[in-house]
Amino acid sequence: MNEAVRNPAKPTPGPTKGPIIEIENLSISFFTRKGEIPAVMDFSCTVMPGEAMGIVGESGCGKSTVSLGIMRDLSNIGKIVGGKIKFQGKDMGELSDEELRSIRGNKIAMIYQEPMASLNPAMKVGQQLMEVPLIHDKVSKEEAYKRALDMVRSVKLPDPERMMRSYPHQLSGGQQQRIVIAMALLSKPALLLLDEPTTALDVTVEAGIVDLVKGLGEKFGTSMIFVSHNLGLILETCDRITVMYSGEAVETGKIKDVFDRMRHPYTQGLFRSIPLPGADKNSRPLISIPGQLPLPHERPKGCNFGPRCHHFVEGVCNAAEIPMIEVAGHEGHFSRCVRFNEIDWEALPPGAKKVNERVMPGAPVLKIEDLRKYYRVGGSEVFGSSEGRVVKANETISFMARESETVAIVGESGCGKSTLAKVLLGLETASAGTVTLGNTEIQSTGIDKRSVDTVSSIQMVFQNPFDTLNPSHSVGSQIIRTLEKFNVGKTVADRRKRMLELLDLVKLPRAFETRKPRQLSGGQKQRIGVARAFAGDAKVVVADEPVSALDVSVQAAVTELLMDIQRKNKTTMLFISHDLSVVRYIADRVVVMYLGYIVEQGTTDQIFAPPYHPYTEALLSAIPIADTSVVKKHIVLEGDIPSAMNPPSGCPFQTRCGYKKLVPDNLCETKVPPVKHLGDGHMSLCWLSDDVLAKMEPVIKFDKEHAAHEGMPDDASHGDGPGFAGTPPKRPRGKRPS
Amino acid sequence: MPVQYISGFTVVFEVLSRFWPVWIALVIVMGASFAYKKKLALYGQLFDSGVGIVGVGICLFWLFTAIFAATISPFDPLAQIPIMKDVLPGAVEPQSGLTYLFGGDKLARDVFSRMVYGSQIVLIIAPAATGFALMVGITLGLPAGYYGGKIDTVLSFLANLVLAFPVILLFYLLVTPGIMDTPIPYGMAGVFFLFPIIFFSVLFWTRYKNRPDRLYILLGITLILGGWIYLGLVFDKDPLHIVHIDPNQLNIFVAVVFASSPGVFRIVRGLVMDIKTRDYVAAAQTRGESPWYIMLWEILPNARGPLIVDACLRIGYTTILLGTLGYFGLGLAPESPDWGTAIKDASRLLRSFIHPALPPTIALMSFVLGLNLLADSLREQSMKD
Ligand SMILES: Nc1ncnc2c1ncn2[C@@H]1O[C@H](COP(=O)(O)OP(=O)(O)OP(=O)(O)O)[C@@H](O)[C@H]1O
Ligand code: SF4
Ligand code: SF4
Ligand SMILES: [Mg+2]
Repeated sequence: MNEAVRNPAKPTPGPTKGPIIEIENLSISFFTRKGEIPAVMDFSCTVMPGEAMGIVGESGCGKSTVSLGIMRDLSNIGKIVGGKIKFQGKDMGELSDEELRSIRGNKIAMIYQEPMASLNPAMKVGQQLMEVPLIHDKVSKEEAYKRALDMVRSVKLPDPERMMRSYPHQLSGGQQQRIVIAMALLSKPALLLLDEPTTALDVTVEAGIVDLVKGLGEKFGTSMIFVSHNLGLILETCDRITVMYSGEAVETGKIKDVFDRMRHPYTQGLFRSIPLPGADKNSRPLISIPGQLPLPHERPKGCNFGPRCHHFVEGVCNAAEIPMIEVAGHEGHFSRCVRFNEIDWEALPPGAKKVNERVMPGAPVLKIEDLRKYYRVGGSEVFGSSEGRVVKANETISFMARESETVAIVGESGCGKSTLAKVLLGLETASAGTVTLGNTEIQSTGIDKRSVDTVSSIQMVFQNPFDTLNPSHSVGSQIIRTLEKFNVGKTVADRRKRMLELLDLVKLPRAFETRKPRQLSGGQKQRIGVARAFAGDAKVVVADEPVSALDVSVQAAVTELLMDIQRKNKTTMLFISHDLSVVRYIADRVVVMYLGYIVEQGTTDQIFAPPYHPYTEALLSAIPIADTSVVKKHIVLEGDIPSAMNPPSGCPFQTRCGYKKLVPDNLCETKVPPVKHLGDGHMSLCWLSDDVLAKMEPVIKFDKEHAAHEGMPDDASHGDGPGFAGTPPKRPRGKRPS
Repeated sequence: MPVQYISGFTVVFEVLSRFWPVWIALVIVMGASFAYKKKLALYGQLFDSGVGIVGVGICLFWLFTAIFAATISPFDPLAQIPIMKDVLPGAVEPQSGLTYLFGGDKLARDVFSRMVYGSQIVLIIAPAATGFALMVGITLGLPAGYYGGKIDTVLSFLANLVLAFPVILLFYLLVTPGIMDTPIPYGMAGVFFLFPIIFFSVLFWTRYKNRPDRLYILLGITLILGGWIYLGLVFDKDPLHIVHIDPNQLNIFVAVVFASSPGVFRIVRGLVMDIKTRDYVAAAQTRGESPWYIMLWEILPNARGPLIVDACLRIGYTTILLGTLGYFGLGLAPESPDWGTAIKDASRLLRSFIHPALPPTIALMSFVLGLNLLADSLREQSMKD
């Protein structure tokens, strides 16, 4: 029976030859006490057997609601108010509860963002996996065990026997997610729904899952609906894409069509606001989409995107509700825009063409030398045992940041970025080494002992916009309190004036003074966070993933704002991030961290070009890039990041490094490598010899062929058909000088 | 001379009309609240649901009853008019011509008036004791949750110790005459009543340290007012002779605060442990705020939702507790009209006369019910955003 796993059946012949799932004009509403919230309106899509459909959109646009609608799992307040979902040709609305349940368990499987939501914490993984064939196929125990084990192997988990014997909490997040996928696949579903399956994971772990998911269609013949907010991920995993905006699908088509020849201004806006390779903070800044998503019950008449669209025309765009309009010449490409034939797809929105002068970094402001931070854990206090283990959160950190320079600190969870930030800000004191801010050493002065001057000159912008402002106090009073703490202004009136100026600085209306944080959107809150950090004329601002929790269309605006203020105030910025695309865009210099060590540092150009440190190379390859012309070297790291409690001996990266075998004498496993100077301040922590380094190839390359053809879609004749009126469209993004 | 009776219908009508000041006050307050509910934040949102309106209505009803007790009740709650002993509801007292609306009890007192006056006692002691318990619980719970470690271990241990002790037994101990003669109750009162003064002083100090103009005024008010009440309550030495509490009541009061502050402590501690991980707390730390500022101004305001709900429920428990204590004769003076004592008195003769027991029982039930409804709807509303 387990050939079903090894060479799984192509989709069963017969009724499934047609589409697996057909969604026609689906509308879903939530009925709350405040009235009806139309979460999804008029959504259509079709998924063929073995095909992967990606759904992208910003938070609240209804992506998850669509997938829950397919599962018919809309709690008691959600209702399908219109349209049909046909699964393998059968209308799901007409099925009995019994039939629905069997489809849900057998033929459609769903994978959520949080793996633990689908696992039973009290049951061994093996048992949970075996239950699926035991219940569904009523096979014997041995058979079930065999199938489960095979499946664990095919989701590429190391040491499958041991995995089967573990409890979910003994596995890492990435491994848990693999188990959930294995569990879903065991029931041999025809359709797999994945709702942000990797959002909770680290990039290098995400890359592994993406790799696994990509192969599923071919290997198991499973169709997929992949919900994500990340265009790059969709590009890597899917064949077709549907872009959603405010409850509607606004554009759908083949990946290539939508990515290269998009026909909806919102899609274009999305692409323009993400830092693709080629964007540059000085000469080609990001272009954000103005405004914000309308609330579901306050959508405008006509085009939902109207209020934020540069091409809006009164009386055309808001005359009537807009259907999906086919783009001629493209197969299955639809757009919900009435003007896509008339729009000049290359024009930049007014005021977007600003070029900033490059700012030269000045004198060093922050110097960190050989910084170490160890935490003592365990060793119960009650019994007074001093044993306890030591967690080395930061090891020999040395780098320097100059005036008006942006230094990015890159690394995945647990690499010690946040500990470093805490030491800099004085929330923790260093175990050894020095941190010099201006002329003062601050490594061992806790925040309560720092002078007001020191405190105000190093400040922080936090990651989670929904958490950085105290929900109980008004926006104005929170800024004023900060000013008061920093001794800015003598009287209350002085400070209020300064607070209003700060609101101007972050481009918020002064009326926000009296607002409570819950009345602000995520982006607006983050702006207040920025205002607060710059309130005392900070010399150094530590920004901890300041935009990662924001919607793509808002990210660009906040990033640009942060850089504008930095440029004006000549502030030094430490930009903590795991996203190398943003880093390449924003940073002057980059510091790559892994397990408490700095493994590589140098200017942005040095980091993004070979020779790489093996970890940097893997990190670069793991980042999903939403550009069809980019070809990446494919490196998938094995395993997960080791725990800092139990670090490997020798090189911190040795458990996952692919280059280890090129180093003689087993040095990697025994000795921490020395810092290798590669010239011009480029440093790397690795044993690799110069000739190996010299042979490294760039990870990210532009596909020459693609670039040559761009602007000349070869599947369409130019000049005729509504999609290509006038001059043939060139690359619509204006993202790279060709 | 036989006692005259009025009809059942007239009794109902009379009762309703005796409450006239309450009705007027209710209409004004509820009407105004309803009209301006948009501007009244959480309190205004209560008026969005039926449960909330009923809850607020019942609680306000008893509040106004307590305020207007003198106008509402036809008789002195302690006065005994021998002829009216054990009379049934609706008996007319011949001298004044007024009616014992709910009859008379075994000491010939007017049950209706006693119920009305009883509300005064309940509505003062229960919320005030809860208020003090909140002060104690918050002031200790904040550092326990915020610092953790040794402080937390010690305080939590003490709290658990108190919680593990059977409440009734605790009260027996605290309210027995032997203990009442020792300085223990006054000692405890001295400690408990210090907490609000400490709480408010620290509250204002942390916030207005750099703004002496405000600070001195607020601290001055706190210290003078607090000191004055403290003198009156603990030492009974109020120079103006306004603040005064019977030793008996003080005892009950202290016992109730003692029994319910560990509960508050635990809730506050849990909330603080959760809230202190938020970024806005980190933001406050990075701008150099002192720990007590963070606890009182950054964390506490965000814990208010669950605390308000808890306070409502706790006032209810305390009311029941007072009733129970009264029932065991542990409570207030034997002739006190509070509901618990009244139920106890009436229960002795339950087999011959049921009417004296009913009004205080129903009063107690309805008040606790009102508080629970209020708590429920507060919880629901605060979950909304
Ligand atoms: N249970 C619910 N009750 C009321 N409204 C809801 C409910 N669930 C979702 N909504 C509303 O429906 C809309 C679509 O929500 P949905 O969760 O599908 O968005 P999403 O695209 O998945 O967003 P995210 O990227 O944040 O996951 C939102 O406006 C949301 O507020
Ligand atoms: S219909 Fe009009 S407003 Fe809507 S996207 Fe197209 S051009 Fe913009
Ligand atoms: S030292 Fe060895 S294990 Fe470490 S990164 Fe270099 S090659 Fe890899
Ligand atoms: Mg979602």
